[in-house]
Amino acid sequence: MSRDNFRLAYRNLQAAKARSFLTMLGIIIGVMAVVLVVCIGQGVKRQIADQLGRYGKNVFVVQSGSRQASTGLLAGLSGSSSTLLTKNDLKTVQKTPGVTAAVPLSTVSGSVTGDYEVNSPFIVATTSQFPDVVHQSMASGDFFGPTDDDNAVVLGVNIAQKLFNDNAPLGQALLWHGQRFLVAGVFDNFTAPPFSLEANFNDAIFIPYATAQSVSGSTLGIYQILGKSDTAGNVNKVASAANAALVAAHGGSQDVTVALAATVNAASDQTIHLLTMLVAGAAAIALIVGGVGIMDVMLVSVTERMYEIGLRKAIGATNRQIMRQFVAEAFVLSSLGALIGVALSCIGVGLFRAFTSLQAIIVWQSLVIAPLLAIVVGVFFGSMPALKAARKDPIEALRHD
Amino acid sequence: MALIELKDVSKLYGFGDATSVALDEVNLTIEQGECVAIMGPSGSGKSTLMNVIGLLDRPTHGNYHLSGKRVSRLGSNQRARLRRDKIGFIFQSFNLLPRLTAVDNVALPLLYKGVSFTKRVKKAWDLLERVGLGDRAYYYPRQLSGGQAQSVAIARALVNDPQLIIADEPTGNLDSNSSRLVMELLSEIHKTGNTVLFVTHNPELTRFATRVVYMQDGAIKYDEQTKLGEVGRYARSVMYAVPETTEEDDLAGVSVLINALHQQAAPKAKKKTARAKKTTTKRKRVAK
Repeated sequence: MSRDNFRLAYRNLQAAKARSFLTMLGIIIGVMAVVLVVCIGQGVKRQIADQLGRYGKNVFVVQSGSRQASTGLLAGLSGSSSTLLTKNDLKTVQKTPGVTAAVPLSTVSGSVTGDYEVNSPFIVATTSQFPDVVHQSMASGDFFGPTDDDNAVVLGVNIAQKLFNDNAPLGQALLWHGQRFLVAGVFDNFTAPPFSLEANFNDAIFIPYATAQSVSGSTLGIYQILGKSDTAGNVNKVASAANAALVAAHGGSQDVTVALAATVNAASDQTIHLLTMLVAGAAAIALIVGGVGIMDVMLVSVTERMYEIGLRKAIGATNRQIMRQFVAEAFVLSSLGALIGVALSCIGVGLFRAFTSLQAIIVWQSLVIAPLLAIVVGVFFGSMPALKAARKDPIEALRHD
Repeated sequence: MALIELKDVSKLYGFGDATSVALDEVNLTIEQGECVAIMGPSGSGKSTLMNVIGLLDRPTHGNYHLSGKRVSRLGSNQRARLRRDKIGFIFQSFNLLPRLTAVDNVALPLLYKGVSFTKRVKKAWDLLERVGLGDRAYYYPRQLSGGQAQSVAIARALVNDPQLIIADEPTGNLDSNSSRLVMELLSEIHKTGNTVLFVTHNPELTRFATRVVYMQDGAIKYDEQTKLGEVGRYARSVMYAVPETTEEDDLAGVSVLINALHQQAAPKAKKKTARAKKTTTKRKRVAK
């Protein structure tokens, strides 16, 4: 009986191909919206986790300003904090017991000329331990040494391309504020942070902190200090010790924030999770609209097929049997739409990965839940017209032509 | 025990002043194995009677016993099951589902009975062979002639082995050759022991009946037993009013149909007959 219902439903839908497709379109778009939003959300979460994971579990971040101001690990670099940390703060952190390395991150301005000129590039002044703290390997050359007064620079991959095009940048000269620098190394590609494009280290020119200080003249403010504890286990203790030391050094005022990379990770995770849920919820409304579309088309179909319903009832179909036939139709419509939607979203995820910086990943839960939801919605909305069909008086329906 | 027993059955439509009486306290008993022709002018309640007997409709008052069981107050699902198991319907406009093949159309009632696919197809095929359409089993209704389509409908009515066949003007949309074919099929069914009820406007077709019931204004006006092959006496009186082409008409190539149309256009014409009425209703149907 049920198999016959599906066979019949399929045949009826096939008979009205264009209309069936338009009905399914609502479901297809709804499913696609839900699946894609969830996949992109999860992908971005993974991307941020990767980026932060690179810093290691034993890394902590010191920023000026209170905790609320820190929205992300690299937020300081995009210039959101007003007051900056000083070299003394760096020393305080370095002296904290358990800290094996601490590097400053400052930005300096000025155009740089290699083979080509780049106006206002992203220049980061830091110290020699930087690659160790951020766990980043070099594509070629080495990071500058601990002497700190070398006129050596290290480039991110993107800026290297901009300055020297396809020529090998290693050993080439750069001009910055009238001073010659030699390219000592080029970093491997940093995993791109998706939401803070200003802080993309692939666009950064790394120069020694001391050199930057002497060239720019003024005392160079520090946006962020990255510290590393000796083991991952005591990073919490070390971070709070550093915090206490800084508060003491600042005369008791709580004007710095010390956060663990993992904590920042969790905070941004939560934000993205919330956002994903929000947008997925909006997408679910699209699914419901798709369901309304099914109801619409099925009401038309019930009216059109009044005669058929009358005949089926005359030859002995019970109300339930008629109802089942129409529910089967709604089921076939919505599940076909859901399947197409899932297939298209998988393609969509691939396209996002190929053509944008959003590394969407396929979340299998969404591939199951979204179509199930679509089918539930479709059958729910389809049962109303089905009920209408089932309750038709056979004589009246037969007279209808 | 009578197969059908109607006692004081009335069917009213509307309420209050707008009430119209479709059936007015009809008493009718039909035994198993009868072949009953029901005649009467339009609006005389023939179709309502058929709907009540066929369990498509419920009488407003009165009792209806079908093979001894009181069915006049059953709910719609119970009536649907009885229709499925005991009654076969044949309609004037064939009422085949256009998207199903002939064999699927015939098998349809069995689907609702829960018979398995292979058994359904086998049974349907047997019945198509019986009505002489074994070679058309996979044709769609639009590919069949009127007579063939009605034969498929007859096969469908028979597929659930019903006790009672109800045919509402089965030949109304057919030419005379197809009509004869369809009526011969019906009388064959009757001969195998089924009870057959059919509505007709054509007195000639009462030859196939063992009993003729005439209705007027929702009541049975005349009820007579006839021998098979004989036209009912009351029907005969109507039949001889049927217009026939005169010699002049034949010479001029004027058919009965054109003659009848002519009479309709000029109502003053003295021959206003049953045949003429029939043609006009036919024409209206076509126009619809």
